[in-house]
This record gives sequence, C-alpha cells and structure tokens, in this order.
Amino acid sequence: MSDYIIETHDLTKRYGNQISVSHLNIHVKKGRIYGLLGRNGAGKTTTMRMLLGLTAPTSGEVTIFGKHFQGNEKKILPRIGCLIESPGFYPNLTGTENLKIFATLRGLKNPKYIKNALELVNLPYRDKKLFSQYSLGMKQRLAIALAVMHNPELLILDEPINGLDPIGIAEVRDFIRELCDASGKTILISSHILSEISLLADDVGIIDHGKLLEEESLKELEAKNAKFIHFCVSDAQKAAQIITTTFSSKDIRLADANNLYLYNTTLPVAKINRSFIEAGIDIQEAHLCEDTLEDYFKKITGGEGIA
Amino acid sequence: MLNLIRCEFWKLKRKMFVQLVLAASFLFPIPLTAIIYYLNTAQDKYATKAAAFDALWQSVIGFGMLLLLPCILGIVAALLFFMERDNDTFKNLRTIPITSSQMVVAKCIVLLLFSVVFCISSTVASILCGFAFFGVTDVLFKILFSAVYGLLIAFSALPLVLLIVFFSRSYIFSIMLCVFYSVFNLLATFSMTALPKWLVLTLPTPSIMMWGTQQMASRIAVNDTEDLQNFIQMGLIPSTPQLIITLGLIGAVSLLLAVYLYKKRSE
Ligand SMILES: Nc1ncnc2c1ncn2[C@@H]1O[C@H](COP(=O)(O)OP(=O)(O)O)[C@@H](O)[C@H]1O
Ligand SMILES: [Mg+2]
Repeated sequence: MSDYIIETHDLTKRYGNQISVSHLNIHVKKGRIYGLLGRNGAGKTTTMRMLLGLTAPTSGEVTIFGKHFQGNEKKILPRIGCLIESPGFYPNLTGTENLKIFATLRGLKNPKYIKNALELVNLPYRDKKLFSQYSLGMKQRLAIALAVMHNPELLILDEPINGLDPIGIAEVRDFIRELCDASGKTILISSHILSEISLLADDVGIIDHGKLLEEESLKELEAKNAKFIHFCVSDAQKAAQIITTTFSSKDIRLADANNLYLYNTTLPVAKINRSFIEAGIDIQEAHLCEDTLEDYFKKITGGEGIA
Repeated sequence: MLNLIRCEFWKLKRKMFVQLVLAASFLFPIPLTAIIYYLNTAQDKYATKAAAFDALWQSVIGFGMLLLLPCILGIVAALLFFMERDNDTFKNLRTIPITSSQMVVAKCIVLLLFSVVFCISSTVASILCGFAFFGVTDVLFKILFSAVYGLLIAFSALPLVLLIVFFSRSYIFSIMLCVFYSVFNLLATFSMTALPKWLVLTLPTPSIMMWGTQQMASRIAVNDTEDLQNFIQMGLIPSTPQLIITLGLIGAVSLLLAVYLYKKRSE
C-alpha cells in the first residue's frame, strides 16, 4: 500500500470539550527517525498513546506496518518498543527484576535479552539497587532498556532524554542514531527541545495545540531559514547608506546605532568591509549568521520561546 | 496465564506478603486454644480431647476464616489492584499486549491462592496447638476441607474486589470497606433466623458457613446439634449445587464488572 511505517488519518482526541489532538496526519517513513516537536501540552504524548492503543481516539485512524491498528493490536504491538511519559516500574524490585517481569510476559526466556538491554543503556546487570533508589536519569535509562529489550522494529519514544544529564543525553542520542543506522529501525521520537530534534531527526513534524503545522525533512526545514550578515560597526547609519548606494541593496535592517543586518548574502563582504574602512567606519565584527530553527519554530507556532 | 500469575508473585517481592498472611493465620488459633483449654480443664465442657479440638477448629473457621480472611483478602486485593495504577505500569503491560481482563483474572487467581494458603495454614496452626493441648483426629480431612473453605471464601470476596476497583481510592478507604463488608456478613450470620430466607441463601458468608457446618457434621463433634437441626428444618442450609451456583453467579458478575471498570480506569 504505502511505504510508511506509521500513518494517521485525521487522528483526533477530545477530552471533554478540550481538543488535545486535532485532525493529525503524520507519516513516518521506514528506517528513519521522525521527530515530533511541540511545546508542553501540544499533544505529543496523547498522540503517542493513541498510536499504542493506550487511549482510544475520538475519531480518525492509525495505520502501523500497513495494517489498521484497531483489531490488529496483538500482531502490531509486539513489534513496537515504547516509552511513554515517565518511567513506570515496581519500586520494590531492582532494575533487573523489573525487566525480568516484562521479559517473561513478552515470552523472552533468555536472560541475555535483559543483559544486553541494560548494557546498552549503561546500567549494571543484577545490581542490588531497588528501583525506588534510582536517580531520575537511571529510571529513564531503565525505561529505554525496556523499550529496546525485545529488539522491536519500531520505537516510539516520548521525550526519552528527560531527566538525563548532558553526557547521558549525548549517549542516548548516539545510541538512538546507531539503532536507526545499524539495525534499520524506524524511530518516532518526541521532544519539546528543538536542538535535540535538530540533532537527531531525519524528518520533523511540528505540532502545536494538537495541530500538525509542518511536516518535512530536516534538510528542507533548514533550507527555509534565512541567512544574513551581521555587522557590528561604529556608525550603522552611515554603513547602511554605503550599502544602499554603493552596493545598491535595500535588503538591510538597522537594529540600533551599531548593529546592521544584511539579508542579501551574495554581496562581496570583503569589498563592503573595505568601503566601510575607507569611509572611516570602524568594524568590530562581521559574520554570516543563520536564523536558528528556534526562531523559525517561534515564528510558526506564533509563541514565545520554548522551555 | 501461568507467567502472569508468576509475575504477580514476583511483584510482591520484599513486601513480606506471604509471611504476613501466614502470620495472620496464627492470629486466632493461639488465643482460641487458650480459651478452649480453659473451658476444657476448668469447666470440663467437652466429652473427649478430640471434641475439644473440634471445637477449637470450628471457632478458628468462624473467626479466622469467615471474619478475618475477607478483610485480609480485601487488603491483598487493594495491593494487587492498585499496584499498576500507583506505579504507572499499565502502559508497559498494555503495550506487550496484556489485556485488562488477563490482568484481573491473574490477580484474582493470586487472591484465591492466598485464600487457600491462609485457610490451610490456619488449620495447620490449630492442629499444632491441638497436638500440644488436645487430641487431633482426621487430620487429612480437616486440611482438605480448609482448602475447600479457602476456595469458597475467595469467591465470596470477589464482590469486595469489585468494590475496591470501583472506588479505586486509597488503601485506608479499601481497608474500611473490607471491615465493613466482613462485619456486615457477620451480622447477617448472627441474625440469620430473623432475615428473609432468600437473603440468607444469597449472602456468601452465611451460605458458606451453613453449608460447611452441615458437611462437617458427620465427621466432627459439632457443639450445637440442635441449632443445626433447626437450621435444616428452616431450609437455611444450601445444598452443594445451590452453593456453587450462588457463589459462581456472584463471582462471575463481580468479575465481569471488575474487568470492565479496571479497563476504564486504566485509560
Ligand atoms: N487524561 C486526560 N484528561 C484530560 N486532558 C488531558 C488528558 N491527557 C492529556 N490532556 C490534555 O491534552 C493536552 C495535551 O497533552 P499532552 O499530549 O500530554 O501534551 P505533550 O505531551 O505534548 O506535552 C494537554 O492540554 C493536557 O492537559
Ligand atoms: Mg508529554
């Protein structure tokens, strides 16, 4: 039918009269990392819960592995590994014992599965420490171990780096990348942290107030961003005049007395600099800048910065 | 299903659960032994030492199994049924996938096993006391019969499971619910003759008690033979199929509703 691993059609969830997810159509391609980006409360978790059958959609459909999700849960779910919101484990058991319960229920008899999964996330196997004594980062790691333990084809990870320290984040990022590149897994990952998505995802879906605003590859998204040259000079007014007259470009913005932005990046920067110096303008800085994804994200969600 | 039940037991690790239940089963046999020992030596109430033991065992059934056990089962049920909710593990189980009905059935089977273990352990405790102070006869029958009691009482506790899942509140609230349920059942048992017959025959605890007493009558020394005759004449004693049907119906309805509610609560 289609080569999408996950496809949704007008997926909608309504809680009371609040619409959490509205007519969502996402398309996750095989062997790629899809980043679902949205602010807190945008509907990322709700979407993922519906993909896993944890919450029934109000309307709309989910297709996973080319099959309708509803009615095929028993066939589809074992092929998925997931982490939804906070890690949920039994506090009176150790990490290994916790995984043993879920491995047993999945029919994985060989303790190797547990051992490998724990190794992958850098947790000790057969440690004495109880889950209740785990730090937030360790809990999150255990949840990731649970998601990958049975070697699923598709991973659905809801904010997997929550609670990890910067080194942990980098480790998890590398190993998610590795899972995708080396084992050809398809991964759907959500985050409210834009830099995470831009570092990891191949495709990006931006969701806000339950609606999908954009869906495209990261490359396309980056290409959309404006590039400009930022001059920091002693007299910005005069510098602007020079650019408009000598280089006949009106594509500039005067920020204040010292800062000038030039949006036409094809102009010869070296020559501009020389003209400035000849006109007696001191140049403190001049560099090529790119609008960050964050600026773009702010623009399309029409909101303030994201936490 | 076997795996699910095994996992339910693993989840109880370090909660001292089995130990506490076993300890609770010794709660009544010990003081009751003291009382009956006193009655026997000071007042010469029982004809033989074996009769004294039979009296002990019957009061252990009355207090330990019919009164205390439903409370304990309610607490165990609250623990089992709140576990996934409190630890947020529903999502991990549901995505395996394990259905809500599988979870409920597994938890109820664990409950049933606890019930049987408690009853057998109660009887063993009485027998130990009995060997020390009285004479014990018919050991095997008594142990088997207590296992049957455990099974029946587990069924009679299923409405309690339903209530606990329905309210899905705190542990304290559930314990109160259990105590209320037990006291209510006990009151019904005491005032049996005053209640309408259909009610006595549908309430689980009086039914089990009456049925049990009649079944045991031929094997042990029953104190109040006249009372028993009275009850038989009043038709307050259910036959075996009658008991199975009553408990089966109550159990089945409770279980179905509990599955439905548990599923709703987990979303
Ligand atoms: N069980 C629920 N009942 C009512 N509202 C809910 C429920 N779950 C989520 N919501 C609402 O749905 C919206 C989206 O939530 P969520 O999907 O958790 O956002 P995100 O994961 O993107 O931060 C929020 O406004 C939240 O309040
Ligand atoms: Mg969320």
